[in-house]
Amino acid sequence: MQGQATQIIHAYKQAPWRVQRQWIGAFLLFLIGAAMIAALYLDVTARAAVAGRDIQELRYEITTIQRENADLETRLADLTSTAVMQRRAVELGYRPVQPGELDYVAVPGFVAPEPAILLSAKDALFPVQPQPTEYTQSLLEWFDERIKSGGAR
Amino acid sequence: MRQQYAVRSLIIVAGLALVGLAVIVQIIHIQNSEQAMVFLSQGDRYAGEFSMVYPERGEIYDRNGHLLAGNRTVYEVGVSLSEMVNPDSMAYILGTYLGLTYEEVYNKLTQSPESWEYVVIQDYVGAVTVESLRELMQQLNDADDPRLNGLAFKPHFQRSYPENDLASNVLGFVTRDGRGYFGIEEKYNDLLAGNPVQIWVPRDPYKATEIPRVPGGTTLVLTLNRDLQAKVESILEQALIQYGAQNGTIIVMDPRNGEILSMAATPRMDLNNYDNYFSLYDNGSQYNRSIGMAYEPGSVIKVLTMAAALDTGTVVPETTFIDTGSIEVGGITIQNWNRDSWGQQNMIGCLQHSLNVCMAWISSQMGTQAFYGYMERFGLGHATGIDLSGEAIGRLKVPGDGDWYPVDLGTNAFGQGVSVTSLQMLMAVSSIANEGKMVTPHVLYAMLRDGHQYNVPSQYAGSPISAQTAHTLNEMLAISLEQESSQALLPGYRLAGKTGTAQIPTDYGYDPFHTNVSFIGWGPVDDPQFMVYIWLQTPTTSIWSSETAAPVFSEVAEQTVILLNIPPDAVRSQLVNK
Repeated sequence: MQGQATQIIHAYKQAPWRVQRQWIGAFLLFLIGAAMIAALYLDVTARAAVAGRDIQELRYEITTIQRENADLETRLADLTSTAVMQRRAVELGYRPVQPGELDYVAVPGFVAPEPAILLSAKDALFPVQPQPTEYTQSLLEWFDERIKSGGAR
Repeated sequence: MRQQYAVRSLIIVAGLALVGLAVIVQIIHIQNSEQAMVFLSQGDRYAGEFSMVYPERGEIYDRNGHLLAGNRTVYEVGVSLSEMVNPDSMAYILGTYLGLTYEEVYNKLTQSPESWEYVVIQDYVGAVTVESLRELMQQLNDADDPRLNGLAFKPHFQRSYPENDLASNVLGFVTRDGRGYFGIEEKYNDLLAGNPVQIWVPRDPYKATEIPRVPGGTTLVLTLNRDLQAKVESILEQALIQYGAQNGTIIVMDPRNGEILSMAATPRMDLNNYDNYFSLYDNGSQYNRSIGMAYEPGSVIKVLTMAAALDTGTVVPETTFIDTGSIEVGGITIQNWNRDSWGQQNMIGCLQHSLNVCMAWISSQMGTQAFYGYMERFGLGHATGIDLSGEAIGRLKVPGDGDWYPVDLGTNAFGQGVSVTSLQMLMAVSSIANEGKMVTPHVLYAMLRDGHQYNVPSQYAGSPISAQTAHTLNEMLAISLEQESSQALLPGYRLAGKTGTAQIPTDYGYDPFHTNVSFIGWGPVDDPQFMVYIWLQTPTTSIWSSETAAPVFSEVAEQTVILLNIPPDAVRSQLVNK
């Protein structure tokens, strides 16, 4: 009986070289997995670092552009200031108008335009184009919407 | 043999494990040592920096979108001491470019505390100078010359006023510490300045995070009309020269809504050089005399006395008064401005000839309760509530005050013993030009923030008189101005107004030689669209308002109708009928 049992165990025992290979395979699999994770981590980290650097540069660029805008605006105001415009007008041969020289014309429906500074603020009040739902809803919400709408778009 | 190898292997493994363990133990030891804490804190110090982000100060525009106050970039010029190679040449170059002495710069570079990494040489350096220095730095760098190594420029904003002294009394100014003084800059300092935010900026790009958005200061749009302001200031300057007056103010307001279209006062200041403040003004109340200085206005206040009398029914335009040249009120004799008697007058005549005796009689007829009740309702002795800092409230003595005497009832009726600001008078009289409704004067037209526009609504400060009274008095003042052939008239336009010549109170009674002259007027009478108040301090060519302030009013009215596109009455009626 004992001899039969030993025969059966022998029949199912792996060959030693097979066991070694399995261990090596498992180790290599672990090694490859770890290397892949490390590579992925490195890639993400590198991308994040590059993005971070881009953010820093963009932030600096935004500040620079804001300063340039303010400088240009002030420069433009300098060039169109009352004193400068009056001097230029006189140089070009213009003179102040007298009350009797003015002609008034009624233009039905004419409304004097508002200055650009006020119009720019009003433009910003126009409703912003809403983001498509594809960018905002989750997959479950999308399923829910599709089910409720019966699949019709 | 095999067992021998196994033992050796075990010994080697154990040895290596021990070495590894020792390394790990040492790592842990180093990480937790006292020195490690020092190094960590040093590392943290250089890992980034706290930075205060100051939002760009909001701009200020006139009602037509002309920039009155903006911002421009200036630089802090400094030197990183660890990078500096040659303090001699650095001091020489910076001294030359920045207008400093060699010693001044050299001392800063060499005598700074040892812990300092960076030293500021000069702040608020203009862009042109910095650009020149940058070019020089570039040339030296190209030539591998390290003389300017360590030189750094940090940009930041500085307030800038493109119109220099235009509307300076209204705008106020901002000092280098970013705080607004006087006028709009002080009144709306918090709105204009915005909220600075402190942020941590890491040097490690991996740790870079989104910086919270720091909204800029609120942009303000004023009710001022830049072109009218320039004209009015020019007229005021000319008037001071022509009539030898010390100082003056002119305000132009829309009586329908209280919008200040122009507010000129002297002296004006170049807002880009606010260091001149102390040489121009003795105290803050002089900065904008239109709102900051109260004075006895004299006869312009007769408009209010007459309004009160008409509204209470004490008099009607046709009421006759026999002027004997004097009247006794509270035991004191009051006389006319020329000490003459003017005989029989109706109420228009009383206004036309500006009779003190008639006005004292009217106030006496009304009685103290009614008279002072109306003066209170007209806002005398109270702030107008204009959105400018530094407003004075003047003084209206009323019965019960320790320094009120019965004669004040008579003298207050023609503008003595009561002090007001130019703006208070304008606000009070706006009720007559605006169908009984008194407007609250304001300078702010709209605010712009985050792309939204917030308009400032007009506010009314009550209706001290009825619309009927306002119409009646409007007409009376127009007639009195026409019959007086006043120099205040403007051909083609029917205007209403009143002169005011006031003696100046001193510690020893009234100054016998000097006067304050004023004029209040508005037009067109049938549809008032502008209202003007003029105050000239101590004119020397003439002491009378009719010869000084009145012609100035005419000039201001002429420019106002041109710049506000108000056609002459005849043309206007034609246009309306079309």
